[in-house]
Amino acid sequence: MALLDQTRAATSSPLEARSLILAGLTVGLLLLPVVQVITDGYNYVLHVLTVIFMYIALASGWNIIGGYAGYTSLGHPVFFALGAYFSGVLLVYRGWSPFWTAPLAGLMATLFGLVIGLITLRTRGPAFVISTIALLLLARLVLDNWEWVGGSNGLSLPMIGWPYRFYKIPFYYGMLITALAAVWTSYRIRHSKLGLFLRAIAMDEVKAEVAGVHTSMCKIIAFAISAFFAGVCGALWGYHQTYLRPTIFLTIGAAADLVLINLVGGRGTVAGPVLGAALRIGLDELVVNQLGSTELNITATGLLMILIVLFFPGGIIGALRERGRLPRLLDWD
Amino acid sequence: MSQGLQVLILGLALGGVYALMAIGVSLTYGVMRILNLAHAAFMVLGAYVAYWAFRILHLDPLLSIFINGPLFFAIGILLYRTLFVPLAGRPRYTEATLLLSFGLAMGVEGLMGAWWTGIYRAANPAYATRSLSLGSFYIPEGQMYATGVSLGMLLALWLFLHRTRIGRAIRATMQNRTAAQIVGVDVEGISALAFGLGMASAGISGSLLSFLSPFFPGKHWQWIASLLSLVVLGGMGSLIGTVVGAMVLAVTSVYVSSALGPTWSPATFYAALFLVLLLRPQGLFGRKEG
Repeated sequence: MALLDQTRAATSSPLEARSLILAGLTVGLLLLPVVQVITDGYNYVLHVLTVIFMYIALASGWNIIGGYAGYTSLGHPVFFALGAYFSGVLLVYRGWSPFWTAPLAGLMATLFGLVIGLITLRTRGPAFVISTIALLLLARLVLDNWEWVGGSNGLSLPMIGWPYRFYKIPFYYGMLITALAAVWTSYRIRHSKLGLFLRAIAMDEVKAEVAGVHTSMCKIIAFAISAFFAGVCGALWGYHQTYLRPTIFLTIGAAADLVLINLVGGRGTVAGPVLGAALRIGLDELVVNQLGSTELNITATGLLMILIVLFFPGGIIGALRERGRLPRLLDWD
Repeated sequence: MSQGLQVLILGLALGGVYALMAIGVSLTYGVMRILNLAHAAFMVLGAYVAYWAFRILHLDPLLSIFINGPLFFAIGILLYRTLFVPLAGRPRYTEATLLLSFGLAMGVEGLMGAWWTGIYRAANPAYATRSLSLGSFYIPEGQMYATGVSLGMLLALWLFLHRTRIGRAIRATMQNRTAAQIVGVDVEGISALAFGLGMASAGISGSLLSFLSPFFPGKHWQWIASLLSLVVLGGMGSLIGTVVGAMVLAVTSVYVSSALGPTWSPATFYAALFLVLLLRPQGLFGRKEG
């Protein structure tokens, strides 16, 4: 409890420079599309930011189970796909806009995560990771062969009816709000009892259990919450892409991205996924757009993962904190 | 009836090969709690070596096991010493090995894709397309050889583990690493050896894979998911469980394949995994941990 009081004391301090900067940044991002309306269009900037927001939301969600609890999930693309197909089908067959059904898609993903968690998280250890790989491939198999949702050819969605110059704006706001909600949720969990339990599980699950933590319950709840944001992102991204295809959503590469973003930034920290997502997408824009995408990108991703695991297990945030050089601006834990 | 028996024969033959493919994963996890997600990636690499040896040198894929075995054993020792030893003593060691080998798998996959593209490949020695009939039953000739090699390898491994001093040291380390160290087992050496053996089995399985089924770089994810599923079914860290799990799932998947079509045969593995986690999380032969 002493630790909890300490955190509370540390976080409830009055307005400070850090809060002001972050609030300013948020307001700036919220106002950015307005400038777009006044000046000439710059969809590219909005597009890159939209993708960054999406990965912030996805990675922050992943971090709740993968970072705080230390249970690596390679199955999050399944929740992403579930959200996309749920909202996509409602759009095609009912005409309901994914902007309204996205929260529902998130809830569906949560529900599904709960069921999967009940099966796979009652045990400790590596069986969970294995089950998430199996879940990913099973989902791929099902969607590839389910003709009602288009099978492996996929499902085409109608375009959003906005003029071309502005059509990025709703997606920009959708992803921004989702990202803010994800980071806020992640922050609140980090500073809650559940967060404390999850970190205890990550450090030593047996000891946590002996100390009275209902470990499987905590893990299942964390998994379900983390699935929510993947579902919402999927709903919005599917609409943005205007077509759904299993090969876009359900790949090991997509799962690896979430792991890598968290590893680079610092898994188990609030700021880690945010930093990691911005770096990952920023670098991707620079490298892939300049040099083109090749098979060697997979190798580079793999090598980066090996290097981080070997030399910087705490990621950027962890490495900075270890050396006592983490700026207050990025210390959200 | 005879249709069912035919499927059973094919299933058991396939199960022998799956058992060899998965035994390395099980051994590596059992001895040092390393979960090697790159196992199947190296298996596919082994298949490429066998494929090119066949295409360029006209070497029978069955003979390429004599290249792949030692080659992958050496790669295994090297990888263990350079990548996995530095992780020793980390908190949440298995987790770290899993992420490391995940990166390794992607590294190998990308290189294979860059060198040999994503085209489906398969070595086609004469026996790959022939079938032998025994009475009213038949068995593909290539499958029979592959199963023969697999069972031979598994038997050799069993004899090695049970009839030699080093084998006994490996089994002791699997049962209790600390106690083994106390009674004088060179645990580090044993671990390197076990990792090398695991990788050698991946290489040898690769030789068999090269003519059994078409492969491409990204195929290894499907393989590793199936292999890990059957390892969990048998009980993680139990070698005999792995063999039994392989047989059970191979037979089931062949039945599923003949009833619903080959598309759904991988689903058997994943469905079985969820079923086993629901009913008996420690697997058929696993001990309850903790």
